[in-house]
Amino acid sequence: MATIALRNLVKSYGKTDVIHGINLDIADGEFVVFVGPSGCGKSTTLRMIAGLEEVSGGEILIGDQVVNELDPKRRNIAMVFQNYAIYPHMTVRQNIAFGLYTSPLSREQKDARVTEAATMLGLTPLLDRRPAALSGGQRQRVAIGRAMVRDPAAFLFDEPLSNLDAQLRAQMRIEIKRLHQRLGTTIVYVTHDQVEAMTMADRIVVMRDGHILQSGTPTEIYDAPANVFTAQFIGSPSMNLLPAAEVEGRIVAQAGGPLLAGLRPHDLVVGAEEGAFAISGEVTAVEPLGPETLVHFLTEGRTVIATAPARMIPAIGSTVQASAPRGALYLFDAASEKALGRR
Amino acid sequence: MALTEQGAPAGRPDRPHVFWTMRRRQLLWVWGFLAVPVLFYGVIRFYPTGHAFWLSLTDWDLMSDPSFIGLDNYTRLFADPQFGRVFRNTFAYLIMGTPISLILSFIIAYALDRVRFGHTFLRALYFLPFITTASAMAWVWRWFYQPAPIGVINDFLSGFGIPQMAFLNSTTWALPSIMVTAIWAGLGFQIIIFMAGLRAIPTTYYEAARIDGLGEWAILRRITLPLLKPTTVFLVVFSSIGFLRIFDQVYNMTTNDPGGPLGSTKPLVLMIYQTAFSSYQMGYAAAQTVVLFTILLVVSLLQLWILRERT
Repeated sequence: MATIALRNLVKSYGKTDVIHGINLDIADGEFVVFVGPSGCGKSTTLRMIAGLEEVSGGEILIGDQVVNELDPKRRNIAMVFQNYAIYPHMTVRQNIAFGLYTSPLSREQKDARVTEAATMLGLTPLLDRRPAALSGGQRQRVAIGRAMVRDPAAFLFDEPLSNLDAQLRAQMRIEIKRLHQRLGTTIVYVTHDQVEAMTMADRIVVMRDGHILQSGTPTEIYDAPANVFTAQFIGSPSMNLLPAAEVEGRIVAQAGGPLLAGLRPHDLVVGAEEGAFAISGEVTAVEPLGPETLVHFLTEGRTVIATAPARMIPAIGSTVQASAPRGALYLFDAASEKALGRR
Repeated sequence: MALTEQGAPAGRPDRPHVFWTMRRRQLLWVWGFLAVPVLFYGVIRFYPTGHAFWLSLTDWDLMSDPSFIGLDNYTRLFADPQFGRVFRNTFAYLIMGTPISLILSFIIAYALDRVRFGHTFLRALYFLPFITTASAMAWVWRWFYQPAPIGVINDFLSGFGIPQMAFLNSTTWALPSIMVTAIWAGLGFQIIIFMAGLRAIPTTYYEAARIDGLGEWAILRRITLPLLKPTTVFLVVFSSIGFLRIFDQVYNMTTNDPGGPLGSTKPLVLMIYQTAFSSYQMGYAAAQTVVLFTILLVVSLLQLWILRERT
């Protein structure tokens, strides 16, 4: 087990910087999720921690050792890849045992480790199968097993669930989370899926264009996004944003206003009796989800998404009014996109 | 008013009978396109192949009609001292040529795969011999092998005071000398195929192995080579067939006495060629062809069986 620290970490390809001097301290046993859109540098950062990419500037510390120039194998980390990277010519048992290839353990100890990992992951009946005979979820479990037997200082996950279907992804999320609770090993997990970030992380690190925009617990990020990007990236459907201005102490929608007013679709309820903020418009689309319905309507030339109770599905073209309670409005500065608090 | 139902009775309406159903139309297209290659292979490939089996049981000499002579051609062949020699030569090409060319091409492909600078140019350079005419290449190599002032190899050797090598005029060295040319000629193709195979292995396999702490050698042995096996099997079979059918290089490098000196370089195909087109003993040549066919078949099947995927 170990802490991981990034100090002014820079990565550049030629003259182009892709990571611009990021700083981060990851506590021992913490589950940290890097989240951001494609190309934000989250995978590159992870690969630098793993030692698969050279560090262009700054330092990476694992424990209290600077590992910049250490080979991947000397860093005592284990990594799980998006495409699993399990070997098709080896059985499940051989694949898991491959994590112990260079280990000085005796044969019996290695076998015991493999058996233990397989039991924990429910792979025991599959040990003598080849990967071709496994489902996607089972393959990913084998990859996790290979990482586990090493008993590493930290696990690195690079979008491990992206190749799985939605149902399996939900199941594997829970499995990985349970595994973390059981093993207590530091985990750095990269994903572009904000749901994965929200559900699994002890701490979320939101990245964009090689910068860390915000880092905090899922609740902190959701309740107090530091900027427009984080506010829109975390939470589904995305937060509605309307240009606004403050007139006599009250927030009013105003095209080209100096403020951006943000309302989460789940706070904005169609047909609610009363609320601090009201907004109305013509319905352009409805998405019934079962327990609730998402209502898209046009206001001031912008589409706003609100929620309606399950059975109340407004007609397309009709005019609806939606309102949100006090405290649900997020304010941002339109120019800097920085958060200005809630009201 | 009484109830009357008008029009046709309810129920399943009769489907109009269509001759050109979707299935038939598709079949017509499929066979329409297949007809050309089927006809081509039938007439140009399979019929002559089958006919050779029949000819091998006759004494056809191009002039008179073939008459059936049973297995006489075969008994004659197996008693022929020249056949023993040719058989040994052919297998010498196979047994030395295939492994040497495969190991060489793998090493080059493996190294080339890591080179970033001038990668395409280098690859083109290695591929060049493959698209060159075999006879032109054979003549250039023949010139390399000449005695000192003319032949570059002997010229180079004499610079170090090493005595002249007879190369193509030596019964010991002629076969290896020709084999070098043949290996060199086929190298480009094998390198390209090996490189394609290497490129097809996902890089995450290597990254995972590096994190697991494997060294270069262990990665090569435990990951690269096993994952490259389908490519290797293909090249083993392909290259073996090539060496068993070697002809161009031998014929062009020993034109004064094809297959010489003293038959020391003569492969089976050259023997067949001479029997057929120098001696005009078509029946006898056909029998030799059947033997070659059998050897190719047995060797290929044996290799596929040895290298089969075990699960």
